Amino acid sequence: MKYTILRILIVACFISVMGCDNDAFLEREPRDIIGDEQLWNDPDLIKSLLANYYDRLPSLHGVFNVGGMTEIDDAMWSGHNDQNWRNDFQYNYDYGRYWDYGFIRDINLALDNLEEFSTEIDVDQKNLFGAELRFIRTFVYFEMVKRMGGVPLVTEQLIYDYSGNPEYLQIPRSKEAQVYDFIYTELEDIKEDLKGNNDSQTRANYYTALALESRAMLYAGSIAKYNNLMDNPITLPGGEVGIPAGRANEFYTRSLKASQEILQNGNYSLYDENPDKGMNFYEMLMDKNSNEVIFAKDFQNSLKTHGFTYENIPRSLTEDNEYPTNLTPSLNLVESFDYLDGSDGELKITDASGNPIVYDELTGIFENKDARLYGTVIYPGTSFRSMPVGLQAGVAVWNGSGYSYETSQTLGSTYEDGDLWTGADGPQDNAQFVSNTGFYIRKFLSNASGASTRGVASENWWPWFRLGEIYLNGAEAAYELGQAEIATTYVNTLRERAGFPANSIANVSIDDIRNERRVELAFEDHRFFDLKRWRIAHEIWDGDENSEQAVIYGLYPYRIVRPGHPDDNHYIYSRMRPTRFKRARLFRLGNYYASIDQGVLNNNPKLVRNPYH
Amino acid sequence: MKKYIIYSLVSISLMLAGCEKDNFDEPKAMLEGQVTYNGEPISVRSNSAEFQIWQDGYALYEPIPVFIAQDGTYSVSLFKGEYKLVRRGGDPWLPQVNDTIVVQVSGNTQVDVPVTPYINISNESFQVNGTTLSANFQIDQIVAGTNVKEITIMLSSNILLDQQINDFSEVIELENWEFGKSNSVNIQIPESLRDKGYLFVRVGAQSSMANEFIYTNAQKIDL
Repeated sequence: MKYTILRILIVACFISVMGCDNDAFLEREPRDIIGDEQLWNDPDLIKSLLANYYDRLPSLHGVFNVGGMTEIDDAMWSGHNDQNWRNDFQYNYDYGRYWDYGFIRDINLALDNLEEFSTEIDVDQKNLFGAELRFIRTFVYFEMVKRMGGVPLVTEQLIYDYSGNPEYLQIPRSKEAQVYDFIYTELEDIKEDLKGNNDSQTRANYYTALALESRAMLYAGSIAKYNNLMDNPITLPGGEVGIPAGRANEFYTRSLKASQEILQNGNYSLYDENPDKGMNFYEMLMDKNSNEVIFAKDFQNSLKTHGFTYENIPRSLTEDNEYPTNLTPSLNLVESFDYLDGSDGELKITDASGNPIVYDELTGIFENKDARLYGTVIYPGTSFRSMPVGLQAGVAVWNGSGYSYETSQTLGSTYEDGDLWTGADGPQDNAQFVSNTGFYIRKFLSNASGASTRGVASENWWPWFRLGEIYLNGAEAAYELGQAEIATTYVNTLRERAGFPANSIANVSIDDIRNERRVELAFEDHRFFDLKRWRIAHEIWDGDENSEQAVIYGLYPYRIVRPGHPDDNHYIYSRMRPTRFKRARLFRLGNYYASIDQGVLNNNPKLVRNPYH
Repeated sequence: MKKYIIYSLVSISLMLAGCEKDNFDEPKAMLEGQVTYNGEPISVRSNSAEFQIWQDGYALYEPIPVFIAQDGTYSVSLFKGEYKLVRRGGDPWLPQVNDTIVVQVSGNTQVDVPVTPYINISNESFQVNGTTLSANFQIDQIVAGTNVKEITIMLSSNILLDQQINDFSEVIELENWEFGKSNSVNIQIPESLRDKGYLFVRVGAQSSMANEFIYTNAQKIDL
């Protein structure tokens, strides 16, 4: 009986629900899903989608990728021994492989949806969003072409029609030159629409498009020129790799034009706020009011931070409970900074007869160097966050005829004479979590309070494009086009900001421009690609253990212990090869273009392999 | 209690028997050989030169890398079957990517792989006079248009030596340099290598078209 009532009640409830004539119950708007009409008609929602896409902008070792920087820039890994392979590896043929058609599809889909659904937003705003999406797509294609050579140009969604024949979806690789042409025409096409963002440094605007154009066209020009100067140019019969030499001038001209427009009309200027030129160069990337930065990836405490400072803070200044101290710049980089009198930057470590030169101060050997050295590298005798960095490898004890070098395993220890033995920040050879080269990095290292803790972390931004690079792009393109005077002016302007006197170079050479790029843009994800497009990477990184360039060197300072002699408590330096740097860098001809994954080749028989793979 | 023992014995024996199902025999056939030019062996840097072996007809279409030892020999263990051997680029010889060698592998198969090096070193001989090592060798141009970028003599107390792993190396600057002419070079043996009673020596030369050196085989020299 009891159950019968219950059954009737259940059936009654069920009928009453079913009985509703109104279909609204089943056709309610979902509360947890945003539909396409909603998304593409709400500027705030479109912006948050764009934020995701901007966040996914690719780089090889940019955006504070510390480990990557130690593999391809002027530095070595001094962090945990488990990652010492970074000092002991060979660039495989897949090094730098980048093939992100998932992202390309997302952008193409977004562009189609913007076209289809955006009916209620302002036309200018719609065009701006569309142009931003296309800018991001162009940026992605540029990243692909500089790593893989010509890639398939896909500008609309590829949708399978279930006909059993997927052949129409198999798009062959475009010529390398065609991809650069695509980048140029796209940027020319969208730049006007991007003007609405001209006051933003973190969204693409008119000048961001020109900056990408300036860089990409310079790359294309130098590949056209220098690839064909090789004894055995790297090409594929279909032109997927290699650009005809005849097009070099055209590309250089496009690059120079874009650079000059930014320099003349852009509201950007070289950062010059601090009379201390070294600190000025450092602050240029830290100060977010800097109008040198054209386009940046921004970070903000409590929202989105990065760990660059935690990972690289000098050992004695750590605020967290571990000492990562990962990236340590090389002596090679330090020596590539010229002296302010214009002479070559090689440090004066020993005199003509091979005896070490004695300096009164730890910083003596670095005096009168390019101020950018101070802004890029923490070298012995300098400080960070107003705290001294204790870089001293040990003591050099005079034994009557020469020095015997004594180092301590205990950092910050005191020698028999009561003064410092080995500094609190090393350098120490074959040790982890302390500099192995005698240097720490200052560029990008935040001096904000708590920036080196994992809880607070850093909020300084990553510069995708800045005016300093545009000056160098302009100088290089002008030089290659035979306009050496313009090139000289641009390089000298940049050097003046670095503390050099006006017109410090009378007639700039291509080597001057290349060295200027190395020092100005160190660790900004340029070096690897610069060496590639000049086709000198295989000569610089030739794998020779006796090479001055393929091997990372360090510089160790020692305090002289020679009581009663005027040299007592002065300093000498010793050039050394860190034990942890195991293998000279070897870049092979097959590394100029990364290999395409075999799975990708299997799926699309129309793709051709890159040379040497 | 007894039941549990029986059950567990049954399940353990099932597990062991199950291994039969998903384990394959290891490949038993060997493919071995030597890189040659005109029938003469070619020497390379260890860990650099590489052939690729492909096998058609399977879903997983991936190359099998075949590493070549410093004396130019290679060996790879494979399943019995038909393979394609490819001489890819990046080595001190011409790439012949489309000119594959079809290899039937069964049991122990010997295949010498002919290559066309850009340049070749031949007729090498070494003599020791006190602390001086004199080397005689000849470099031939094989591929038209190629030049010699660098010639290096490398010494080591170990048999594994090349341009990257060595105890001593010296770049040779030759006057009146010509292809096909015998060259004689004297180098000083460094002190650190004098007291062992022997050393190993190789001559390497890099073609301007290749990024790897080509070498003579490592020779042991008694001091």
